[in-house]
Amino acid sequence: MYELNICHLYPDLLNLYGDRGNIIALSRRCEWRDIEVKVENISIGDTFKYENYDIVFIGGGQDYEQTIIQDDLMNGKRQEIVEAVESGKVFLGICGGFQLLGKYYKTNDGKEIECLGAINIWTHGGDTRLIGDIVFEIDFLKNNGENYRVVGFENHAGKTYLGEGVKPLGKVIKGSGNNGEDGFEGAVYKNTFCTYSHGSLLPKNPVLADHLIMLALLNKYPDFQGLSPLNDDLENLAHESLIKRFIE
Amino acid sequence: MRKFFEKFRLGLAIIVTKLTVFGLRLLGRGGTSLPGKIALKICPDIFFKLSDKFRIIMVTGTNGKTTTSRIIAGMLDKAGLKYITNKSGANLASGIATTLISALSLTGRPLVRTALLETDEAAFRTIAPKLKPEIVIVTNFFRDQLDRFGELYATLNSVREGIQGSPESKLILNADDSLCASLGQNAPNPVIYFGLGDEVYPEEFLIANADAAYCINCKSRYEYLSSSFGHLGHFKCPNCGYERPVAQVECTQVLDYDNISSTIEIKLPGEKFAAKLALPGLYNIYNALAGTAVGHMLDLKEPDLVYVLEGFECGFGRMETLPVNGRDLKLILVKNPTGFNQVLKYLLTQKENCVVGFAINDKLADGTDISWLWDVDFEILSFMQNKVRGFFVSGTRAEDMAVRLKYSGIPSDSIFIKHPDTELIDSMIEASKENETMYLLPTYTAMLDIRKNLKKRFNLKEFWE
Ligand SMILES: [Zn+2]
Repeated sequence: MYELNICHLYPDLLNLYGDRGNIIALSRRCEWRDIEVKVENISIGDTFKYENYDIVFIGGGQDYEQTIIQDDLMNGKRQEIVEAVESGKVFLGICGGFQLLGKYYKTNDGKEIECLGAINIWTHGGDTRLIGDIVFEIDFLKNNGENYRVVGFENHAGKTYLGEGVKPLGKVIKGSGNNGEDGFEGAVYKNTFCTYSHGSLLPKNPVLADHLIMLALLNKYPDFQGLSPLNDDLENLAHESLIKRFIE
Repeated sequence: MRKFFEKFRLGLAIIVTKLTVFGLRLLGRGGTSLPGKIALKICPDIFFKLSDKFRIIMVTGTNGKTTTSRIIAGMLDKAGLKYITNKSGANLASGIATTLISALSLTGRPLVRTALLETDEAAFRTIAPKLKPEIVIVTNFFRDQLDRFGELYATLNSVREGIQGSPESKLILNADDSLCASLGQNAPNPVIYFGLGDEVYPEEFLIANADAAYCINCKSRYEYLSSSFGHLGHFKCPNCGYERPVAQVECTQVLDYDNISSTIEIKLPGEKFAAKLALPGLYNIYNALAGTAVGHMLDLKEPDLVYVLEGFECGFGRMETLPVNGRDLKLILVKNPTGFNQVLKYLLTQKENCVVGFAINDKLADGTDISWLWDVDFEILSFMQNKVRGFFVSGTRAEDMAVRLKYSGIPSDSIFIKHPDTELIDSMIEASKENETMYLLPTYTAMLDIRKNLKKRFNLKEFWE
């Protein structure tokens, strides 16, 4: 029997906008396939050893809460997180978590806040929040032969830019994406996936959820043969109804 | 001359506002926002001018404003005070201006002396310093429609700024909410706190969903002696010592509790009594305590306080029971995770078979981002699954809601997506039996749609009546 260990980093602080929906989606989709899942919450003061986990998740928080974790993150868990990303661990960073994985966040008044530096991206504070429904297209995931479209909701003031070695997660069809300028959304580096699409990202985009689960299983069980299909009627209905509403 | 013009401007604003309200009524519409908007255009400093004319009570905070305002209204009635109040969510500057002007004669003389104003948290910041309220009640701070307000701490700070501009207002604050109680720290205002006594309602602390687990002063993690729900409880910061203040108005015991009411013991300075609230849910105990604090301030004593608390019924949409085809349709507004969780817990007190419906919209007044549904603990519905004949979902985000229910462990074949609302209500009637209860939980604009729909079939009152 297969088994996956999921780590939710700072769930008590970085839990804005229903981020735990992603953990629920990963867990359920494993359980429905008889893959055993354990979710561990790791927060301030807890030791984080990336080798204990197959999928690591970090969400977004309010500014106030992000300042609380600053010290624990930069002086405590930084090394392990960088190594996790570098070693090809499946890592999902959303919104604030996306920004934190990058090199720095430059505020509106020019102050540069150092971030984890796990991936070659950086963020500049913007004047207006980029808020609203977002649809973007991922070219490495296919659904019925076509690029997979992800539906979500973004809400961020920071504008994120990608450096060398990092690819965007997708191309924006509706919404603002990373910075509202270059038409791209999110970032991919090795098995680390980042996006501004928060909350119910994985429940409503089951193809992306399964992609993460599959990569994690392949990491752990090199002879893994592939996921058994699930009945995704409701998920697809939610997915399709929004695609229809926003872009057709 | 200048003074004359100023007076003229207020007079003009009054007349135009009244005409607009009258015109809208003729068109069969409830005019709560447009008239006030016009008044603010004509006379931008209208709140300054109105502040002397009324004794003002303002109610703000993220949850429970309407219920608390209704209870306070009962207290004002009992104290024999005539008052004007804003209704049906008209709690922004424009709605408040409309309300106050409607209580003036054409010559600008107030027809009543007291104004009870439910006030949006963001609007409170600018309005309160101008209106100089005598009493300010702040219910609590929970995450609510963050896509509109930015962040919870921004909401807290806008209320804080409003209070800093009103140093003479008497404050009534929630002692159990570390964010709300912080408004009383170092403030020159007189403060009365309300809260639940220690261990009155001990509950497992769901830390992962807490809005404020870390000290507002020094960012250390609070220790909790006990907790009631969300982040509410007897908190203490082990580092700087900030802790839950002593509550002058306290619920010292929950004597009885079922799906329509709760009986509680309330302790006030110098008296202690029991009251049966005709309102379910722990969150309503807080609302009752806030209302009681105002009653106490108005010098009401035990029999009057009990009279108001026991006679109070739910206001618009917070929870209404309507007879529909021999069944009870219970409409309960949901708007954020904390409130939603309390409603779900209330559903668990249901003993008989029932049907449950959700109508989730993502319009501006609902919050356009519905990812908060993932912060609601729908997982507890599995405890009542054998009593629920079906889960019905409707609204612009029906499909999202269906997925949420599925991932909470409810089998897909007992989840039914129904568009439009007529079909939702029809299928809920069809799935239930006579004398059973149909629970319908809509977001704000879905509630308006459903009421409009029911109005045609049943004789419902208009909101502005
Ligand atoms: Zn402290």
